[in-house]
Amino acid sequence: MSVNPSRRRFLGGAAAAGIAASSMNMDVLKAEALSNELKKNGKRVLLLWLAGGASQLETWDPKPGRLTGGPYQAIQTSLPGVQISELMPKMATRLHNTAIIRSLNTQIGDHGGGARLMHLGRRDEPNLKYPDMGSVLARELGRPDLQVPDYVSFYTATEGRGNAVGQPGFLGARYAPMFLTTDNKPAHLSRLEDITDLDHKERADLRALLSNRFAKGRVSESLGSHNVAYGRVRGLMSSEKLFDLSDEPQKIKDRYGNSLFAQQAMVARRLVEAGTPFVKVARAWWDSHGQNFETHLELVTELDHVMSTLLEDLEERGLLEDTLVVTLAEFGRTPTINASLGRDHFARAWSASLTGCGIQGGTVFGATDEDGQHVKDNEIGAAELFATIYKAVGIDPHHEYFVGSRPIPLVDPGTHAVDEVLA
Amino acid sequence: MFQADPQNFRELKTTTRPDIMLRMIRNEDSGEIYVGSSDAKVYKVNPMAEEPEFLPFEGHTSYVMGLVDTGKYLVSGSYDKSLIWWNKETQQQVRRIELAHDRWIRNLAITPDKKHVLSVADDMICKIWDAESGELVRELVSHIKISEEGFPNMLYAVTVSPDGKLVATVDRIAKIKIWDFETGEELKELEAPKCYTWDAKARIHAIGGIRSVSFSPDGTQLAVGGIGQIGNVDHLGAAGRVELFDVASGEKLHMFEGDDKHKGLVEQIIFHPSGKWIMAVGGDHNGWIQFMDLEKKEVLKQVKAPMHVHQMVVTSDFSTAYGAGHNRLAVWSFEPKPEPEPEPQDN
Repeated sequence: MSVNPSRRRFLGGAAAAGIAASSMNMDVLKAEALSNELKKNGKRVLLLWLAGGASQLETWDPKPGRLTGGPYQAIQTSLPGVQISELMPKMATRLHNTAIIRSLNTQIGDHGGGARLMHLGRRDEPNLKYPDMGSVLARELGRPDLQVPDYVSFYTATEGRGNAVGQPGFLGARYAPMFLTTDNKPAHLSRLEDITDLDHKERADLRALLSNRFAKGRVSESLGSHNVAYGRVRGLMSSEKLFDLSDEPQKIKDRYGNSLFAQQAMVARRLVEAGTPFVKVARAWWDSHGQNFETHLELVTELDHVMSTLLEDLEERGLLEDTLVVTLAEFGRTPTINASLGRDHFARAWSASLTGCGIQGGTVFGATDEDGQHVKDNEIGAAELFATIYKAVGIDPHHEYFVGSRPIPLVDPGTHAVDEVLA
Repeated sequence: MFQADPQNFRELKTTTRPDIMLRMIRNEDSGEIYVGSSDAKVYKVNPMAEEPEFLPFEGHTSYVMGLVDTGKYLVSGSYDKSLIWWNKETQQQVRRIELAHDRWIRNLAITPDKKHVLSVADDMICKIWDAESGELVRELVSHIKISEEGFPNMLYAVTVSPDGKLVATVDRIAKIKIWDFETGEELKELEAPKCYTWDAKARIHAIGGIRSVSFSPDGTQLAVGGIGQIGNVDHLGAAGRVELFDVASGEKLHMFEGDDKHKGLVEQIIFHPSGKWIMAVGGDHNGWIQFMDLEKKEVLKQVKAPMHVHQMVVTSDFSTAYGAGHNRLAVWSFEPKPEPEPEPQDN
């Protein structure tokens, strides 16, 4: 199968530098025109990954008055007839841009398997490594004319970090994430102090001259990837300031607050504002087998503040129209409350939210039964959710990649987006 | 008084329920027992009946987390932030303070003379109410509202000294405040930091806190209960913990910790009237009762309970104990197990 070399011209992400692209051939010729058109639209996705599994009952799908509902009340939102947990008073006032999906049945109830499913949108296949949502969006929405990283992933807590898949799969290392775990700034991105900018540029030019001379007459994927990686270095270096909040106005910092999650959400906003098409901010760890209500009092209170501030900030900057903000986890939590006043893993009936770009705000899709034990209406799985996310940012979910001669659609065949939540 | 011996402590009966029984009180004169439930109701019940009937008091809209008996009224407090005074005979509301606190009410206590009801809530205020009129008498305010880590603090429990002069309150970040009841002045702050686990690295949230507090019968000692340091804050994965303080000096006298088979929160501490030993009740997925000798400073006995025990009451003669917990009520006895009747023997 033919390969479009222009599509592998970039090997991106600081962590990916020097790594060869997948040896699998991928035909992207058919998608090139469409893809370029989309990139001009400047769509982005910001994923708030609630690692460990947030409770749908203490967030988007409360069951007040039921034994499974727990102690929290439901509060009225800005949408007539729609209630969410009392732990989210700020989001309750601003659901006009948000769609709630209350009918996810994803079946996989272990952290590793659930997280893979909700990152890839499909189950693993032995002979094929699928790209995760971030890599797909980096490829489809990334703009070659911008120097910013295409896929940035924050995950500072250590628990569950290995489950937070950042996997370009058959798309190749060009679309691997810049994975930030210990600091909100990428390591080793700064120019060494004892090298001037001119020195640095001239060294790069010399390296390019020698490399191009060496490459002349040679055909090699590794060689191409090597040069693409170096080609992005100065662009990535110039984006370092995006991770530095020191020049952010104090009043904005005050609005977000000092929590790590808030700081990372603020950096995420700066990145999408600069054109980064996909940012994931993971807030771990929600796995409340014991003391669910205390844990959710802490974490949902924080989520409510950070998420509402982020949405407000994006809206005020005119970015929300082109930025899709998703809250998602590997699963939800059991309606049944265990003896430690905890909730356990539950993938049978849980919730996610979609806000902003391409979304019909103020909609609630699907429903669970009165105790939250089963999906009652409009059950969907991971594939439908992914199709909805792709369609919201203007990507045809049935668009196909080719790995060798095998067509690989973005989502599993027969899957449809949830048009009810799309604008 | 019946000479209760922890070694004789044994389970008599359990009753299964679909809800979580969170609070329990017993009227010593009438023997009536009331429980507060996760279904937002208060129930009057006789746990010893063959098929116990649960007579409901309906009015709250969330978990009932505090119950006291003023003699004339039953008073309940709930996560719905309200306090309700009930007519015990008619199960009707006599008074309702809709927004008694700005946040969840975590527990109630009553003064020994039964003239005042105390409530603690996540607004981090202890409020003292006139038990008869329901008027707010004073507020005890100094527990911080937000932890150093930036998360909401929680005010879990309150108790009054036997002479009615002191109040003790305990919170999530393991601070203990001792107050002058009459003036509302904060007299002392103690702490039991091992009862609060902040996980800054792996999971970035907290667990634990001091969940129970009791004065000794002579008022000279204060016992607080919770859970020890936890490695994995997803679970109540550490032994129950009791710390004992000298009230006058504030000195920490001793720390009791259960073994690995008895993990979880100490939800309540009950002093034996002699002041020589205490009962600590609680649990994680399982429940337990631990007996701790205050003189020898050792754990006397640990008993598995049929459920995580949220609250226990013991008759004044210390012959019988009643417990409320996860999906169950239970009854225990301190009386020696009767010797089996001898088998009739043939000649």
